[in-house]
Amino acid sequence: MDEEYDVIVLGTGLKECILSGLMSTDGKKVLHMDRNTYYGGESASLTPLSQLFDHFKQPAPVDDKYGRPRDWNVDLIPKFLMANGKLVQLLVYTGVTRYLEFKSLDGSFVRKTDGKLHKVPADEREALSSSLMGLFEKRRFKKLLSYCQSLDLDNPAAKNKDDKKIDPDNLDATQLYTEFGVDKNTQDFTGHAIALFLNDDYLHKNCKELIRRIQLYSGSLARYGKSPYLYPLYGLGELPQGFARLSAIYGGTYMLGKTVDELVMEDGKVVGVKSGGEVAKTKMVICDPSYVPHKVKKTGRVVRAICILKGKVEGVNNSESLQIIIPQNQVDRKNDIYICVLSNQQCVTAKGFYLGIVSTTVETSDPEGELQIGIDILNGKDKSNIAEKYVWYSLIITP
Amino acid sequence: MEPVMASGPPNYKVILCGEYGVGKSSIFRRFMNDTFTMETGKKSTVGLDQSSQLFKINGMDVKMSLWDTGGMERMSFIGSSYYRGANAALLCYSVLNKDTFTILSQYILDIVMNAEGAKIFLCGNMADCDGDDKVTEADIENFIRECGDVLSGVYSISCKENEGVYDMFKDMARVLHEEAMGRMTLRKELHVIRPGETPEDTNHHKKKCCSS
Ligand SMILES: Nc1nc2c(ncn2[C@@H]2O[C@H](COP(=O)(O)OP(=O)(O)O)[C@@H](O)[C@H]2O)c(=O)[nH]1
Ligand SMILES: [Mg+2]
Repeated sequence: MDEEYDVIVLGTGLKECILSGLMSTDGKKVLHMDRNTYYGGESASLTPLSQLFDHFKQPAPVDDKYGRPRDWNVDLIPKFLMANGKLVQLLVYTGVTRYLEFKSLDGSFVRKTDGKLHKVPADEREALSSSLMGLFEKRRFKKLLSYCQSLDLDNPAAKNKDDKKIDPDNLDATQLYTEFGVDKNTQDFTGHAIALFLNDDYLHKNCKELIRRIQLYSGSLARYGKSPYLYPLYGLGELPQGFARLSAIYGGTYMLGKTVDELVMEDGKVVGVKSGGEVAKTKMVICDPSYVPHKVKKTGRVVRAICILKGKVEGVNNSESLQIIIPQNQVDRKNDIYICVLSNQQCVTAKGFYLGIVSTTVETSDPEGELQIGIDILNGKDKSNIAEKYVWYSLIITP
Repeated sequence: MEPVMASGPPNYKVILCGEYGVGKSSIFRRFMNDTFTMETGKKSTVGLDQSSQLFKINGMDVKMSLWDTGGMERMSFIGSSYYRGANAALLCYSVLNKDTFTILSQYILDIVMNAEGAKIFLCGNMADCDGDDKVTEADIENFIRECGDVLSGVYSISCKENEGVYDMFKDMARVLHEEAMGRMTLRKELHVIRPGETPEDTNHHKKKCCSS
């Protein structure tokens, strides 16, 4: 440990592992430490199932009530990967995709004011058969989609052939919607269920971000199947491990189960990391916020309910793994409500059981109530599909 | 997990397990391109990742993909991801160092927990060396007895002298393949996605997606 490194990374969350991997491949001498004896920090997948109960300080079921405990790999904060997105590109570019396997999700749905769930239409054919809109609205929406898909954003000179009059450089998202005459409903699910904006701030910003996100969604969908989303087999905890392996293979040194006593500073600059009485020298330290608690501030709260489900979710064409988005406007909120459902297909639950997670940004003094609409969807008509439910909060922090 | 058969020969994932310095990377290097280095420490491990080789078993092509640890076992843990989907684990020790042998029962636990159904093979390396405190045949027999029928093969090799290495791999390939053929009828396929794979490789995944 008494050595000098180009960089010391503290914490083995996904971001830290990606940076560690990239710097090792770049020829830097990297030391990567974690206070835990496992990789992933907060993003480690909980397994066996008893870990989930431990996490919420609940007694774990004694019998195998929820199937084989080892078959569960629970992510408290599930995140889906866009098949064409930046993270997947990075996995391919670095070769980390060799270490992991993925499964695409069965479906992507949006809830309308009428309470029904609708498949998110993402290409022109789906747009025309969608139950989300009336006949004329469908045509307008289809035109919007084909415009977005044919536009080459990296080459602004090549404007769309049919619509020379539209200049994306000078339109905000609302103006783009107006150009195509799509109604408020269509705007809602385009912006929230396809472009995945979490609130309506984007409406008054340049429309190119909206177009880029629509392109990402359709491009991802075209890739592997019924939804644009991928999930790593055995849970998100596999991702940091993949990048850690990359880092190690390029010479990175790993030390787990090491408490960091302090960052050693000289003249206001970091010169090393002290652990167990020894100092590893370096000029650069990268760490997750938990290693420097006094240097970050809280900017909001997210409330989540994690549920073990006894059966499939109703009204989603038998999809076993899916995302449902409830756009804010549809339920008089400022932030969307997200529902993720995962299954044995992703090797994260035992056979026959499902994991449902509802989440949103806290807006009121009754956060749990804010999730109710999502809980009801998971629980089904008979209000009996949820076998276990735990509600928890996480802070949104920024440096 | 079952090897994917839909494209190309069956492929068996084999992971190297065992203490730092017993010669895992040396075994890997013999497997990969039949070379050997006396470099010590990290230098002998860095850069080794995965390597695949074909073996002819009963007239059929069988692929084995060997994974090295990246040296993560030196001061840390390898992590569960390494074990996923492994069809076999090659448990390595140095015949010169009893400690690397006695600790193997812990490795077996890790393998059983993280790589369900993986066949376990035992390999004593550095058979070319002499020492005072060598692992004896009696030690090995005891261990085999304690393990019950957990071990699918036991080998003694020298990477330096290139003795027994190829025969070991060939024998592992045979055991893995014969066992898999025996279970053919029970096979369930996992249609997984590896972003970046060529379309030919993923074709069968796609078809499945639309029809199911
Ligand atoms: N004499 C002898 N040395 C070996 C043999 N196999 C490996 N070594 C040496 O043992 C050291 C450790 O080997 P290495 O493959 O790096 O072990 P690993 O840490 O398990 O990957 C290296 O210096 C090798 O050259 C062998 O069969 N005989
Ligand atoms: Mg090695």
